[in-house]
Amino acid sequence: MGEAEFLFLLTGLKWTVLLSLVGFAGGGVCGLAVALMRSSGIAPLERGTAGYIALFQGTPLLMQLFVVYYGLALIGLKLDAWVAVAIGFTLHASAYLGEIWRGSIEAVPRGQTEAAKALSLHYVARMKDVVLPQAIRISLPATIGFLVQLIKGTSLAAIVGFTELTRAGNIVSNQTFKPLLVFGVVGILYFLLCWPLSLYGAHLERRMAVAAR
Amino acid sequence: MTRTTRRSLLAAGAAAFALPALLASPAGAVTPAEIKARGKIIVGIQGDNPPWGFVTSAGKQDGLDADIATLFAKDLGVAVEFVPLEVNNRIPALTTGRVDVLFATMAMLPERAKAVQFSKPYVANTIVFIGPKKDKITSNEDMGRYTIAVAKGAAQDTQVTKNAPAGTVIRRYDGDAPSIQALVSGQVQAIGGNIFYMQRIEQGRPGEFENKLEFQNLYNGACTRLGEKEINAALNAFIDKIKANGELQKVYDKWMKVPVHKFPDSLEGVSFTAN
Amino acid sequence: MNYRLDFTPVIEGLPDLLLACLGTFGLALGGMALAIVIGIGGVILRESRLAPVRWLVKGFVELVRNTPFLVQIFFIYFALPLAGVRLDPTPTAILALGINGGAYAIEIIRGGVQSIGKGQIEAGLALGLHRGQVFRLIVLKPALRAIFPSLTSQFVLLTLTTSVCSAISAYELTSVAQRIESESFRSFEVFGTITLFYLVISWVMMRFFSGISQRYLSYPVK
Repeated sequence: MGEAEFLFLLTGLKWTVLLSLVGFAGGGVCGLAVALMRSSGIAPLERGTAGYIALFQGTPLLMQLFVVYYGLALIGLKLDAWVAVAIGFTLHASAYLGEIWRGSIEAVPRGQTEAAKALSLHYVARMKDVVLPQAIRISLPATIGFLVQLIKGTSLAAIVGFTELTRAGNIVSNQTFKPLLVFGVVGILYFLLCWPLSLYGAHLERRMAVAAR
Repeated sequence: MTRTTRRSLLAAGAAAFALPALLASPAGAVTPAEIKARGKIIVGIQGDNPPWGFVTSAGKQDGLDADIATLFAKDLGVAVEFVPLEVNNRIPALTTGRVDVLFATMAMLPERAKAVQFSKPYVANTIVFIGPKKDKITSNEDMGRYTIAVAKGAAQDTQVTKNAPAGTVIRRYDGDAPSIQALVSGQVQAIGGNIFYMQRIEQGRPGEFENKLEFQNLYNGACTRLGEKEINAALNAFIDKIKANGELQKVYDKWMKVPVHKFPDSLEGVSFTAN
Repeated sequence: MNYRLDFTPVIEGLPDLLLACLGTFGLALGGMALAIVIGIGGVILRESRLAPVRWLVKGFVELVRNTPFLVQIFFIYFALPLAGVRLDPTPTAILALGINGGAYAIEIIRGGVQSIGKGQIEAGLALGLHRGQVFRLIVLKPALRAIFPSLTSQFVLLTLTTSVCSAISAYELTSVAQRIESESFRSFEVFGTITLFYLVISWVMMRFFSGISQRYLSYPVK
């Protein structure tokens, strides 16, 4: 496998990183909305978002990609593969992050919310200044864990024909006929991307466990 | 934050959700005039099936289909934008409006003609059954002895499924690349493919395989959506033109290395013009 | 352009799709069984006195958890044959699912085992139970009860991951759906329908696990 092929793999890696970032950022914004709705205390909102979360957690990511990829064009949105796939991952991430952050919002001690209400802080101020900062801190290990899952999940975009790292690996493997080498390198590239994040998440988890004692 | 700001935030959020619905016009039919006004034509093509359509290591779309599509775009006076597609994404990408036209090694089969509109044929393809050189394979029945790889939804998938005896083990993969990988890695002993597969297989397992059976000669046409008359007429006029002025032979010389095939005037079950 | 929804190919393909669900369950159960074996084995080896063995287990867990499943299954199916190990799609899928699930199972089970207080183990030894019995009755069963929710969600995820095995042509729901889609070109109808199938499949799995939990792990704990 020569330099040109390795550079092609790196191009795929670039798309993997971009797709993960867009999915995480978009999913983060939507996920926050989902988490707030899920813990709002308004029954229809809570049930609606619970259904949304259950839909994305109870179906394979591959299916979610297929449905978004083929379905968006049906309602008239003629988008290229990159945008369709980015939307798919954003929706997927919004459900999972929404559930993670809902859990951490509810893990913030009740007393905090009550004290904020006693100080006559409205919902937005209460959330923005009191609850969310604490919730986000609690959720950091799980959030970072999900980011790793998302990065690995971008590999499925290969199956709808989007050339990220895994598909680049398939193409190069088919040109060089050295699958052991190529998939080995692809695996190492993913590992280099994910492992530092996993280690950081584990480190945070240990630190928070100490602080909680 | 005050109550009015919160309300306006909520309103903005609601509008953000409604915006796609407002922007999304129902996918209209595309005509040459609209394409010219837009300034570019969106072409569906294959991404890893040399020499028809493939993306080079430099990331550029190349191949016979790419050259023909570029000529068509020049004919219309617009730029070309390629959308590389997996084998069984081709027709859905066209019917759901993601691309305007397919130049994607689309073999003209009657089942497909029910879903898309073919143009006149512009190149011919032979679907072959490739097996071990040392084995004697002379009839369709012989296929039953092998585990056969095919690309899901490709013409070879249809041909092998139809012609192999019942009970033959057929493994379907997402595309030409994994199918060839399956053969080279020994996961299967035979493969259905087109005449250009052997070049790639020889690189991975030289001297072991050869074309054994030839299924019918298949012709490839450009595809547009059913009912779109104007772009179909434009394609047919273009294909007649490049056949007559030698441009098609130039593309053939570059990729096929044979004289331009003699194309039939009609094909059973497939009409070349929209009605 | 009017894209009219047409579910006829889905309805005609229903028997094939339902049979394929059995394929999905088969792969999932096989993968889970292997994952539990690897999980328990890994936890035991993790406590080995030999440092290289401990590092091997740690390395295995980190490697599997930080690489995508698709790359792992491609590696086993397309690359290993060149090293002399060639497996059919079904064994490959079960092996890949088992290895992937096993790496997560090792961490989950380890967490549960570590939550068993040392006092419990010492009490068991003091009562004359030998090490094997202590491990089985005092460590494993209560640990299993503690980690059951995490294990359940990991195994439901494993069941959903069987859809990725379609990339190596294993027999399960997504492969059959793709075949129907490539014949009818009705991608939205086909994939939308089997998305609902998967919802039912994951619901069935959750009921299955909660049934096990109620039957075996609901003994009262003082």
